[in-house]
Amino acid sequence: MNFLTGITNLTSWMGNVIMPTLAALFFALGVLRYAHGQAHTYAPWAGFLCLMVSGVLRGIEKFAAQAAWNNPDLVWITMRGMVNWTCNVFLPVYAVLQLLQGFMLYAGIGHRMYAGGAWMRHFGAAAMCLALSGVLRLAEWFIAQGLGGIS
Amino acid sequence: MAVPQLVLDAIRFLLALAAPAALVALVLAGIALRREGTTSFSVGGGGFSKWMFWTIVMITLPQVFGWFAFWGVGSPLPGGGIGNGWMSGFANDAVIFVNTFVIGRLVPVLAAWMVLRSVIDWSEGYTPLASILGAMFLLAIPASAALLQGWNDGTRFGTAAVLEGAWTYTASRIMPIAAGLAVIGAVVNFAFGRPAIRLIGSAAAFLTVSALWRLVVSMM
Repeated sequence: MNFLTGITNLTSWMGNVIMPTLAALFFALGVLRYAHGQAHTYAPWAGFLCLMVSGVLRGIEKFAAQAAWNNPDLVWITMRGMVNWTCNVFLPVYAVLQLLQGFMLYAGIGHRMYAGGAWMRHFGAAAMCLALSGVLRLAEWFIAQGLGGIS
Repeated sequence: MAVPQLVLDAIRFLLALAAPAALVALVLAGIALRREGTTSFSVGGGGFSKWMFWTIVMITLPQVFGWFAFWGVGSPLPGGGIGNGWMSGFANDAVIFVNTFVIGRLVPVLAAWMVLRSVIDWSEGYTPLASILGAMFLLAIPASAALLQGWNDGTRFGTAAVLEGAWTYTASRIMPIAAGLAVIGAVVNFAFGRPAIRLIGSAAAFLTVSALWRLVVSMM
């Protein structure tokens, strides 16, 4: 028994076993909060992140491996990589999401289509409750598509 | 004038106690790791650092005496076994006591209590990680002692060599794993509405700690 093996297995167990299991809980939490009309967007994001723990770590490792380990510039290069990725990869994708949200709001989806009536939200929540496994499998499928990592 | 046999035996006796003392210091370091959590690594200020330092000093005690010879003070360490019967018996008993009772039985129980404590920590709203890591550290004491001993180069610089080895091992082996824990912590924090970016930055810093050292050196 040595400390490195213990901490490695602990990290691997938490990242690859516990967090993906908790992902389902966060998707369920998202559905419940949606059903009650509360802020719910953070919950599915948390679910996605629970599925992406290894991917996030591999991403940061990629940023931290752009120069030799003893290169003093590596700290800056790592930060530059993270900033570049945030600005040039994440934000454009986020822009698409915002555009989609803007179009949906303009079309009235989300407020005018069931304005004043929570019945549609409850039907939607019921559908998601019954299809939660499918939603989780879909999220896992999306994550699996990114297994190639950052090029 | 020849050194009296009793003095030589006393020196051999104290040197024989250094190895079990190092193991006891490692146990105390593990307890300090649990008690102090993230402040454990404050250089000179944390109990963990203090007990790890004394562990290394105990492991490299014969090499520390090398400095006296370097300064021209004749202090050859007596070789051979302890001549005095009761001193020899006491030294053997101390080694057996530490190996079989403290390390063999007491430490696993202590680690089990720490695992129990981690559950209570969690129920009280604290992180269970400090207790879990403390338990792992305790369970790994024999391997850790062997690891520290392996970094001892046998010269009068032995203490510094072991400290260097410990730093390299921490930076190159432990820190990349800690980066994984930091990412998990960031996701958990995000899920519960607590600050998460700091932990993502920490993960990047854990992965580049060697470069950070080189950066500081290059600035000097």
